[in-house]
Amino acid sequence: MTPEESRIYITNHDSQANFKSYNTFSIVDSVAVLSNRNDTAKKALTDYDKQLISSVSQAMQSRGYTLVDKAAKPDLAVALTRIDNSFTNVAWNPGWWGGVWSPGYWGYPGGWYWPSYYVVYQVNEKQTAIDVFDLKNPNADNKYVSVWNALWRGSGVWNTDNVASMVQASFDQSPYLTNK
Amino acid sequence: MKKIFNWMMIFAGVFAAQAVSAQVRPPLSIDVNYSVASPLGSLQDYSGKTSFRGWTAGLQYMLNDQFSVGLRTGFQDFNEKLPRAVYPDKLGDVSAVQTRTLQVIPIQATAGWAFTKPDKPVIPYAAVGVGVANMDYKKYWGEFVESDNSWQFMVSPELGINIPFGQASPVLFNANVRYNYSPYKMGDITNFNSLQYSVGFKFHLN
Repeated sequence: MTPEESRIYITNHDSQANFKSYNTFSIVDSVAVLSNRNDTAKKALTDYDKQLISSVSQAMQSRGYTLVDKAAKPDLAVALTRIDNSFTNVAWNPGWWGGVWSPGYWGYPGGWYWPSYYVVYQVNEKQTAIDVFDLKNPNADNKYVSVWNALWRGSGVWNTDNVASMVQASFDQSPYLTNK
Repeated sequence: MKKIFNWMMIFAGVFAAQAVSAQVRPPLSIDVNYSVASPLGSLQDYSGKTSFRGWTAGLQYMLNDQFSVGLRTGFQDFNEKLPRAVYPDKLGDVSAVQTRTLQVIPIQATAGWAFTKPDKPVIPYAAVGVGVANMDYKKYWGEFVESDNSWQFMVSPELGINIPFGQASPVLFNANVRYNYSPYKMGDITNFNSLQYSVGFKFHLN
């Protein structure tokens, strides 16, 4: 099995969201690095992170969304997270976790969804997540709701050379993510 | 009284028959076969490729010239790797290279009936195996695996031929076709069905 074959790309979306109702987006200027070993997220801007920001921005623009500054009240916010899990025998299932974000907080979405019926033999797994939040329609608690996300798992997901193809695959399998 | 008499007659018959069969070859035999198996039904949907990795081994005892009982086991490995595809799920869309495997290890009691006497050059027979099978299911999504291991009921009717290497030879060539059924349910598999083709040898032991 090649590293490419080892990887899985999971995408989810809010089926209630109208992706044509959004016109602009803003993206984080650095990537949050989350490790459950110390429970604190750090921001990073490695070559990988720069490539990730650039590839995701291009993909969003190719779907008809205009990149604007955070101060320009964008319709969508794009968050990027690298996750470094150190736990073993993690159960997994791709799931819609419906993450929410507090206004003004460019952090990482809380709460990953791990149902218990699949067993994964994986230690020190690295993942990358892209989350798109709706800034136009905050929920009742005045938090932003995630409308789309992608999660990459497997060998080489933290390899800069793989970013473009992983972004491509994630968007390709999400044809609804467009305002065209 | 009549019952006991009947039983005695049956035993007498069995022993008499054994005495006759002993003239041709000893009653106890072992057999080893190489197996190829085709998945059928929902197993084919799960892992559609013919399996060339399989074997069977058994022990048989001739109660008379035609009727035998025994025990057998074996192994069959179904394996199919699918190119990258997106699998929609109610929880999301997953792009993955799936490798779908199922390894089967049956343990069955058998009963067989030969259609001819053991001194014939070709001995066609029918048999049935009833027992359990260990099902080792592994569905890989990329490097991630969904796995399940369980024991299931399995029944396997079989038709075959034994060809002795010479009229009284204790060594026979064996070829058989077996249908395996198990009410095994896992993921896409709603029942286990396979058609298994085996060739091998049977050795009668002194």
